[in-house]
Amino acid sequence: MSDLLTPCAQKSFTLPIGPLHVALEEPMYFKLDLDGERVRQVEITAGHVHRGMESLAAKRNFFQNVVLTERVCSLCSNSHPFTYCLAVENLAGIAVPPRGQYLRVLAEEIKRSASHLFNVGIMAHVIGYKSLFMHVMQVREIMQDIKETIFGNRMDLAANCIGGVTYDLDSTLLEFTADNLNRVAGHLAELIDIYRHDPMIKARTQGVGVVSPKDVAALGLVGPVARAAGAAMDVRRDSPYAAYGDLEFAVITEEGGDVHSRAMVRLREARESVGIVLQALGKLPGGERRARLSAIPAGEAVARTEAPRGELFYYLHADGSDVPLRLKWRVPSYLNWDALPVMMKDCAVADVTLIVNSIDPCVSCTER
Amino acid sequence: MPRFLKILVRNLLKGPATDPFPFQEAFTPDRLRGRVVLNPDLCLGCGICRHVCPGEAIRLEPDEGRTGYSFSIWHNTCALCGSCRHFCPTGAITLNADWHGAHPQTDKYRHAEHHFVPYLRCAGCGAPLRPLPPGIAARLYAHSPLDMTQVVKLCPDCRLTATAKREGERYGTTANPG
Repeated sequence: MSDLLTPCAQKSFTLPIGPLHVALEEPMYFKLDLDGERVRQVEITAGHVHRGMESLAAKRNFFQNVVLTERVCSLCSNSHPFTYCLAVENLAGIAVPPRGQYLRVLAEEIKRSASHLFNVGIMAHVIGYKSLFMHVMQVREIMQDIKETIFGNRMDLAANCIGGVTYDLDSTLLEFTADNLNRVAGHLAELIDIYRHDPMIKARTQGVGVVSPKDVAALGLVGPVARAAGAAMDVRRDSPYAAYGDLEFAVITEEGGDVHSRAMVRLREARESVGIVLQALGKLPGGERRARLSAIPAGEAVARTEAPRGELFYYLHADGSDVPLRLKWRVPSYLNWDALPVMMKDCAVADVTLIVNSIDPCVSCTER
Repeated sequence: MPRFLKILVRNLLKGPATDPFPFQEAFTPDRLRGRVVLNPDLCLGCGICRHVCPGEAIRLEPDEGRTGYSFSIWHNTCALCGSCRHFCPTGAITLNADWHGAHPQTDKYRHAEHHFVPYLRCAGCGAPLRPLPPGIAARLYAHSPLDMTQVVKLCPDCRLTATAKREGERYGTTANPG
């Protein structure tokens, strides 16, 4: 095989990839040391979209920050204000009423399944399977229509407020949501079958970008990236928040640790999310959907949730005024992109984009 | 591949999935957050909308002669988060489903909503008084035997004096100290 390679392909050289349009339209710069077309070493340069949002958060009041955190990232735009509100509620000792808790889960899971569908769709796009990409995006469009109908926007739901939720569901919307989720569930079953068995997808993604369970522990990986390597960790189950304690769901794991396993975890989780929303719709308790606000005292608080990409952590430091002293968040992509050099070790150049997409990187979250 | 071919054929038979906009109206649910609208008749001028607005798209300030206050919503600064609507105590702020906000660059300073809400004059002392919308007044004084149409015409100071006078007349003989 090696004698077929041109002299140029046998040489070692450095290839820059990025900062624009690596997989998604988010800037990330990779310097790849290549040996022929094999990647030997990866150097990641980040920081292209730093917007100083943590500093902005320390200049805005608690209410404005709910909206600011929603603008950190579009795909996990519900997880940020949700976790932020949990941190504020932890600090002020506000108990969210049960209906609010359920409605929060509903918004979060609708976002999760849409986010996962988007990522597996992009995977099909990256491997050149455009017709499948179009189809997955069309399935996701049902979720987008649900979001637009319930919340009034396709991405930024504005569902959370300190003490509960801003929106409510009537019987017509309940029925509309359940009908459409059942449609999505049907499509998801089909998609899971295709992604699991399609020879083209398997040939292109199996055994690519592998992380071992040992790497998961060593690098502290989270979310679908960790679960695809067999690590059954999920904040929703490990330390239940909102209404997750009352709902039944499985923590999805796969054993391969490769690009294919990560896509399978996401697809199966999307189906699990649809199940959670349907359960929540069935069990939706009556009563108030938000608590009365109390003063937010001086002190520190943390909160963590399972965002679509993994554990999201918020730290809040308040001084008793209505502007936080410090708001800091740690996002899952920050942990997961450290796995890229491991995943890309000795991979082919053509797989780099595929591997980058497979950790579902959220650069705007990480660099904020 | 054969698995997907089935879907492909199904999708082909279904035809285009996109809305033929602008030849036909696009999918627009009722709750769509399209544009912020103020109903000045319900506005208390409390300013909570300005306080919670993350983009500072809402301006609210009294005019020089203190005859009323102006209320502006700058649509191009608005993030359409709906916080103003959520916190508005009277429901004066709503979001309509009109998402046709595109406009030429030259119109960007006209893409706003301006209102002027006049102050009333206190029936007692003539001080400028923030109007209390009748609906809110009816709710506040629902369980009171008082004639609220008179009470809402007084500024807080004159209302205190009036209450003291009224209560004094009522208890004047029995509450005599000594």
